[in-house]
Amino acid sequence: MKTTAARSVAWGAVASLLVAASSCGGEDPDEGISIGDPGPSPLRRLTRLEYNNAVFQIFGDTSQPALAFAPEETALGFNNQASALVVSPLLAEQFLTAAENLAVKHSPTILATLASCANATSLDGGCTTQSQAWIRSFGKEVFRRPMADDEVTEWFAVFSDGTALDGGFDALSGVELVVAGMLQSPHFLYRVEFGRNEPNAEGIDELSPHEMATRLSFLFWNSPPDRILIDAADADELRTPEQLEQQARRLLRAPRAREAVRNFHRQWLELEKVTEVLAGIGKDTEMFPDYDPDILPLLQQETEGFFEFAVFDADATLDTLFTAPFTIVNQPLAEFYGFDAPGATEEQFVRVELDPARYSGFLTQAGLLALYAKPNRTSPVHRGKFVRERLLCQIPPPPPDVVPEAPDVDISQTTRQQLEQHKTDPLCSSCHQMLDPLGLGFEHFDAMGRWRDDENGLPIDASGEFIATTDIDGAFNGVVEFGAAMGGSQQVRDCVTTQWFRFAHGRGETDADDESLALVREAFARSEFRIQELLVALTQTHAFRYRRVPGQWEEEQ
Amino acid sequence: MSIIRPTRRDMLRYLGTSALALPLVSSYRPAFADHGEPHKRIIFFYTPNGTVPHNFWPEGGETDFELSPILTPLEAHREDLLILGNVDMESAFSGPGDAHQKGTGQCLTATELLEGNFAGDAGESAGWAGGISIDQKIAQAVGQDTLFPSLELGVLVGKSDVSGRINYRGAGEPIPPENDPAAAYTRIFGDPEASSNEIEDQRVRRQRLLEQVSMDYQRLADRMEDQDREKLEIHISSLADIQGRLQRNGVEFGGECQMIDIPEIDPTRVDLLPEIGQLQMDIMVMAMACDLTRVGTLMWTHSVADYVYGFLGEDLREGHHSLAHKGDEDTPKVEQNTRVNIWFAEQFAYLIDRLKSIPEGDGTLFDNCVLVWVNEQAKGNNHDRRAMPYVTAGSAGGFFNTGRYVVQGSTATHNQLFVSLQNAMGIPDDQFGNPAYSDGELPGLT
Repeated sequence: MKTTAARSVAWGAVASLLVAASSCGGEDPDEGISIGDPGPSPLRRLTRLEYNNAVFQIFGDTSQPALAFAPEETALGFNNQASALVVSPLLAEQFLTAAENLAVKHSPTILATLASCANATSLDGGCTTQSQAWIRSFGKEVFRRPMADDEVTEWFAVFSDGTALDGGFDALSGVELVVAGMLQSPHFLYRVEFGRNEPNAEGIDELSPHEMATRLSFLFWNSPPDRILIDAADADELRTPEQLEQQARRLLRAPRAREAVRNFHRQWLELEKVTEVLAGIGKDTEMFPDYDPDILPLLQQETEGFFEFAVFDADATLDTLFTAPFTIVNQPLAEFYGFDAPGATEEQFVRVELDPARYSGFLTQAGLLALYAKPNRTSPVHRGKFVRERLLCQIPPPPPDVVPEAPDVDISQTTRQQLEQHKTDPLCSSCHQMLDPLGLGFEHFDAMGRWRDDENGLPIDASGEFIATTDIDGAFNGVVEFGAAMGGSQQVRDCVTTQWFRFAHGRGETDADDESLALVREAFARSEFRIQELLVALTQTHAFRYRRVPGQWEEEQ
Repeated sequence: MSIIRPTRRDMLRYLGTSALALPLVSSYRPAFADHGEPHKRIIFFYTPNGTVPHNFWPEGGETDFELSPILTPLEAHREDLLILGNVDMESAFSGPGDAHQKGTGQCLTATELLEGNFAGDAGESAGWAGGISIDQKIAQAVGQDTLFPSLELGVLVGKSDVSGRINYRGAGEPIPPENDPAAAYTRIFGDPEASSNEIEDQRVRRQRLLEQVSMDYQRLADRMEDQDREKLEIHISSLADIQGRLQRNGVEFGGECQMIDIPEIDPTRVDLLPEIGQLQMDIMVMAMACDLTRVGTLMWTHSVADYVYGFLGEDLREGHHSLAHKGDEDTPKVEQNTRVNIWFAEQFAYLIDRLKSIPEGDGTLFDNCVLVWVNEQAKGNNHDRRAMPYVTAGSAGGFFNTGRYVVQGSTATHNQLFVSLQNAMGIPDDQFGNPAYSDGELPGLT
């Protein structure tokens, strides 16, 4: 377990790297709070997953109404990026319909708890008092913060109008109107933050306790705060780094954190494509007679399950993800691979040990390998592009506006031979030297993503080369060597850190985030690159704890 | 001449928060009951990944042309077509984004994309489109008298970034299409099961609800800055759209305006793509017949969509985008890609057939329409965006002189095409998109 002392050392170490060294955390009353620039905190809209989790939390509703919403606009590979999420008339109408349906469904249960209203024949004193108390508590749950008195007054007016819509008195109708209205409020659909309203001289403020509770729970659970977090916020106990760390560790222990971690990996590595894109493309059934589209969701589950198991059950370090000689399969997957998996059934996934000379973490799982392949052959270009973009966080230069026409395919040659033109044609090579030599390392895995000894009888050369990396340039042979290099690469560690930062904050990193990112990297390194410690460290940064105050914070010239 | 019109959002700023303060708009009347000029309608029809140019362009001259394999399904409508040779998407060679992103985001906007972090081939390279799309500009002018200023329907539009959106209310304001026919139907025509009392009850509730909700958004927006404020104002204007619709009567079935049966169908299944597409076209046509909208977009999949169209033959094993990237010498694959594009032409022909089947005035609904087939590329395997495969159908009430293959002699742009379209729809503006590429109408269309 980390101690405060250990963190102080880290803070000091970080500070010494930076010109703007301030006594971090040291609050000198003469100078006010000395806190670093947290970068921007754009207004974030709930994703469909977060919406569904929220209505589950509020009503126990498992119908997942947000599945009918227009899908999120994705940016930087994630669907929770504030800048991309906008609301069209269509989506506003979907919010409206969902809110109305949820109100109709759950208002009777709510009204049953409001006896003074359920039995009333008019909006009398008893019902007024009880409904106002309900609005205050229900609103706190929906808005994830206590309601102001004037808000209660306003929503009571909505309740009152609702009860009188058909001319008489109908308390149920009043409840319905409030529920449907609050579920469309910006305070529900967006994560509104105003801070504590105690900014320092630079115009930087701490988050309010309830805003902090919301940040924590959405980060680790993709969900609104639970009772414990709300209580902690009510008691203003979500302020110090220690308090945040303690909550982070508690949240990580809960099963809901597993789903959030799966969600991250699903998006970072675009695992949904294994199901969605591959289903539309399929595989050549002459070459793969056992190909069955039903395997695709299982391939996605295998990789998601592997990450979940590695992060939570094995408390894995980063290199384990890239090198682990085991995977998690159920019975159909075991058959698909030809693995012996005692105990596996249709429902039960089990861990199986694999030949470490062939298999290397998620890199050799069939889903991604089949995705980055053609129906009838591998695609080292796409495999290389995936590695370069998603795992090394590098963006290959854009292809020219008008690209030369692709050469025809000659199936009497190996895939490697067919890609030779990419090396000889200078117009191709400038880009493809970044991609092909990475992807060719996977050549022992066929278009279905399974091990092969040869390619249509031709011997396989799975040698490759890292170029233009910060720390692992050089030749490698096969995916096991590839995985070992990647697992120990600082560039990969930084890439993973950056991806988590984007996912956590719903935005790309900026120059102002250097200090926050350095702090996370430091903590990650100190833990010998354990993923869970990376997640905890995300809560300790300026970016996580503070926000710039609109109108008061100004960019330094 | 250039006319500056206040946008909806501007109006909203002038009016304050409550669109409810507006007087009730007179109740809607179907187009065919109207006196005077019939209303004009426009439908954009988007298909992705370019075409196969040598199988697309007709042989022969302006009126004695012979249709190519890809356009052969349109033979019955030959006299209604304008096949537009030599029109470039010139703006789509500039600004942020890779070839597909620029082609898609500029498909109907004809101006450069915003900077942003949608990853394309070019990496973190582009944001949303940088201006209003032509359908929305037209909708601002002709859409105010209908329940929906415009309708955007999709068929397996599976991308939620700049490569999956062509309609924009303004810079950075994409409009997603509705991919689910059943949801689209209920949204446009109302719940077929609901009684008129229930509908009236819902209307009153929604007015009260949205009054409160809009006020919440406005107050919050007032406390925000820059992008956050902008985002909330976009939300507010979306709410105002709904509020505006609540001021009007709903659909009144009768005459040619009839309910249609929409079966529940999984809108994500590639093998059902033909059925989904047909339902969406039926809905679009009926929405026009009922005069619920006069501006529509049908978006078939998205840029770089790689769905395998197995329903066009068992030999089709590669996705559309992969097929589009094959070399010109790869005869079997070029044939398959041609087949895909022929199939799209058949869908375009179906849409024309349906519009022609609805009587209106002395003729048919189609007489008052113009349909515009657009793409984000000219040719898939080299990402060309010059000599775009543009085809229109319908004269827009006699505005266009159809039945011709019009090849532009000198450089012409899709900005000019859109100027022609807005003029056809009664908007007397000689510019659209980035004025650098916009030089009056496309010559020779009227």
